[in-house]
Amino acid sequence: MTIPRYLAHRALLGVVQVLVVMAGMFFLTEALPGDAAVTIAGDNPDPAMIADLRERLGLNESSWHRLGDWLVAALHGDFGQSLLAPRSVVDIVASAAEPTLLLAGLTLVLLIPLSVGLGVLAAHREGSRLDRLISGTTLGLYSAPEFAMGILIVTVFAVKLGWFPPTAVGTSLTDNPAVLVLPVFVLLLRPICSLSRLVRAGMIDAQQSDYVRHVLRLGLSPARVRFTHSLPNAVAPAAQQLARTVDWLVGGVIVIEAIFVVPGLGTTLAAAVAARDLPVIQGLAVVFATTTVLVNLVADIAARVLAPTAEVGR
Amino acid sequence: MRTVRGYAIPATLVAIPLLLALFGPLFASGDTTKDVAFSLDGQHWFGTDFVGRDVWNEVLLGGRSLVLVAAVATICTYLVAVPLGLVAGMTRNRALDEVLMRPLDLLLAVPSMLMLLLLVSIAPQAPWVLIAVVALINLPDVVRISRAAALSLSARPAVEAMRLQGESRIRIGLGYVARSMRRTLAADLGTRFTGATYLVASASFLGVGLSPQASDWAAMVDRNRVGLFVQPWAVVVPALLIVMLAVGVNLTFDRLLRDRQPTFLETP
Repeated sequence: MTIPRYLAHRALLGVVQVLVVMAGMFFLTEALPGDAAVTIAGDNPDPAMIADLRERLGLNESSWHRLGDWLVAALHGDFGQSLLAPRSVVDIVASAAEPTLLLAGLTLVLLIPLSVGLGVLAAHREGSRLDRLISGTTLGLYSAPEFAMGILIVTVFAVKLGWFPPTAVGTSLTDNPAVLVLPVFVLLLRPICSLSRLVRAGMIDAQQSDYVRHVLRLGLSPARVRFTHSLPNAVAPAAQQLARTVDWLVGGVIVIEAIFVVPGLGTTLAAAVAARDLPVIQGLAVVFATTTVLVNLVADIAARVLAPTAEVGR
Repeated sequence: MRTVRGYAIPATLVAIPLLLALFGPLFASGDTTKDVAFSLDGQHWFGTDFVGRDVWNEVLLGGRSLVLVAAVATICTYLVAVPLGLVAGMTRNRALDEVLMRPLDLLLAVPSMLMLLLLVSIAPQAPWVLIAVVALINLPDVVRISRAAALSLSARPAVEAMRLQGESRIRIGLGYVARSMRRTLAADLGTRFTGATYLVASASFLGVGLSPQASDWAAMVDRNRVGLFVQPWAVVVPALLIVMLAVGVNLTFDRLLRDRQPTFLETP
């Protein structure tokens, strides 16, 4: 398959994925017990008031009808109003996006050089004590839940040593960069572990391959061979894992924002789920799902460009 | 001697949380009289928690739910995923393969924590709901692995020979392909279990897992966070046990796989 055809194929699949996920999310959130009318009515609900609220919020229309309306509006960038606050969903998501984007962006920026570096280093010293230390640590830590690691790290570095603030309460992430250190560190842990292991395995494979042996015989310097010939092949599988990482980052961000009390998308989602604020949940679900699909798309294409022979994205 | 030494650290890391989780409830006292919240006087080994319960007693009680829910969810994943993968990998009907595999691509497009939050909050708070959701989230990966294994196995001459002899497809599938897949699947088991543990614990931490009143390590971390400065033990002990469990299981499985090379590395 040529690159443009592959691109078109993958892009189409991506669009279908997002649409189906949007419809799926819509019906899922519909199934949440209770609805916003009950939530707004409060502790002593008056049946007449609930009926009136349902009518005004459009909750009495059929689900299919509302799905259609919602999809058409969403494609125009209108995700409706929050049921609980007099704000539009777009407004709520936009204002919560900044801290989350800052956390996730900073993590990604640090993640790639750190994990590639660690992987290349371990592969270079394969079998050494350093390699065993890196491999053992990355293997052990990659499935440790962020909340448990996070709380242990906070206990040591914020409570006992007092080096960094334990939460982001009462300050903004941009004004006080020290607040960012611990959350980003915890967010980095899992993806670094999986990526650097893949880079290490890929580097060792590539260094032992016939063509690398061949270019070495041709007289190219080992360092040049390592970085221009082996590394791209080693990074290709890692690029796909990077897409998986976005899934971890979304999960990690929800947990990390809870631990460090960051007012971002994760906190907004948790609050919206608790309050059954359907439009906000649907808007956030679309944002998260679209990001995941887009990053998968980019990763598949990157992997194909880096290593054209590899079987990628069935 | 080398191999025994290699197992010492991983085995210890798994054994402590696992034994506490499985047998802890037998040693826990039913005495739940409440003391002062977040106190650290000498009366309690690790002090008291946010409502004044003994932390050590809660630790003894709180591991079982996590380990059992994660283990049952892992088993359920395999029970559903392996037959699906077997059918998709062995069928010669391309359309059936697509029908089975395409929906899984969609499942992968939804971030797992988002799915967990939504699905678990829809259903009543019960262990079986959590088990079903965690099993569902882990499903696509296991189906893919079993499909790939079945696909490469069913191309073998042995399978062709059995077909020529007129063996039924069900017999070939269960008697040969499924049995030969065992190794590939066993190699993956550790990852699946730690993955399930991760999801179950994170759900409980976010308050959508088990009942908030239940004694649970992850819920303890969440509930006792407010007292971190006063009484860190109530948070550190359960968090450390969860990390030890995840790290230990990973390291142990890695050891097992490396010692049984090359038979275990029969990846398709």
